[in-house]
Amino acid sequence: MTTILLVEDSPDTAELVRKALTARGYNFLHAPDAESGLRLARENQPDLILLDLGLPDYDGQTLAGWLRDVPALKDTLIVAFTAWPRETARQMVESYGCNGYISKPVEKIKEFIAQVESFLKSA
Amino acid sequence: MSLSSESIVLSSASEFNYEQLAEIYNQTRVDYLVPMPMNAARLQEYVETYDVSLADSFVALTPGGEKLGVAMLGLRSDRAWITRLGVIPTTRRHGTGAALMRALIARAEELGRKFVMLEVIKHNEPAHQLFLKLGFYEVGELLVLRRSPNQPLRDPIVADARRLERLDALVLAGHDRGTQPWTNQSESLANAGDVSGLYATLADDSRGWLVYQRKKFLLTRFAIKTEAGDPATVAYALLTHLHAQYPRLDTQIENIQVNDPHLLAYQWMGYVEAFRRIEMWRGQPPASLRLGKQI
Repeated sequence: MTTILLVEDSPDTAELVRKALTARGYNFLHAPDAESGLRLARENQPDLILLDLGLPDYDGQTLAGWLRDVPALKDTLIVAFTAWPRETARQMVESYGCNGYISKPVEKIKEFIAQVESFLKSA
Repeated sequence: MSLSSESIVLSSASEFNYEQLAEIYNQTRVDYLVPMPMNAARLQEYVETYDVSLADSFVALTPGGEKLGVAMLGLRSDRAWITRLGVIPTTRRHGTGAALMRALIARAEELGRKFVMLEVIKHNEPAHQLFLKLGFYEVGELLVLRRSPNQPLRDPIVADARRLERLDALVLAGHDRGTQPWTNQSESLANAGDVSGLYATLADDSRGWLVYQRKKFLLTRFAIKTEAGDPATVAYALLTHLHAQYPRLDTQIENIQVNDPHLLAYQWMGYVEAFRRIEMWRGQPPASLRLGKQI
């Protein structure tokens, strides 16, 4: 089963994403901060990590760097999940070795799922 | 929610613990483009580094105790700083932000600080307009820059680079750096842990220094000064040495003035702009700030 890890501090957003992804049959994991995100990623080696860039303990960019440092996660899909303007998101993604970004807030579930699945297909 | 300004109760932030303050602050930022959430430890570090006085900061509540927002006041010898202002989204547009701001300005004046500084994220128009209305004026734009450790490493420029221990680094950073935003003033560096520096002399006798904080996973709080030569070249030499020394550390530097003469060196090193803030002041800056002699 495809496993997706969401690292996101907002409980409301996490719940929305959980509902959307589990309804599509994905195995869903959630971490509310960077340290637990790193731990869950190491333990479960998810197929895709959705990464909020603003986290309460360390920034998402710093976590992206840690994740890329773990040999088992070197090629894991990391997708920034951010409300930042497109150009900033693009630059951050490029600079921090992410595979792309999905904009927040999630307004259309179908569109969000299509974006997630497009990243999974690209792997 | 229906609120009038009379129904906003301001309590001292010192009546709340860091967990509670972080929770309120995070709730106020959930819909920001750059939310910058904090946990209790991060907030405590922020308070201590930036001389925030929780006894002179406020949490806004309804008479029934429902939390509405928060704002904090930093205090240094002859100046004050307003920070972490936020109002919970569902309760906005009822005067909470203005009530918090007026209370902080009044408190700063009571404490003899007529000069108040703040920064607002660029494009946060409601906050920007509120600050203008309350007598703040724009001073300039500030950049928040990041550099990923995934960048290819540049060979250090040939230079005599000497490490500066904390005390030597703080002495250098303590004077003659011009007017700096609150976060980058010498007091912030003096309050921060793990501060050290580099002093570089290039082959053509250009020279300068870099003071920085090395956290567990992050390089941050840079102060750079060129003593002789081209600032961008000197800064590039310092940065190539620093990043060669700590190739696995992420870097974030905040509130770099857009007219900083070292800016080009950051671009050469692959720093990217995360976002911008606008610096605003209220009142006339004290001489200590203009001369850059904050300690």
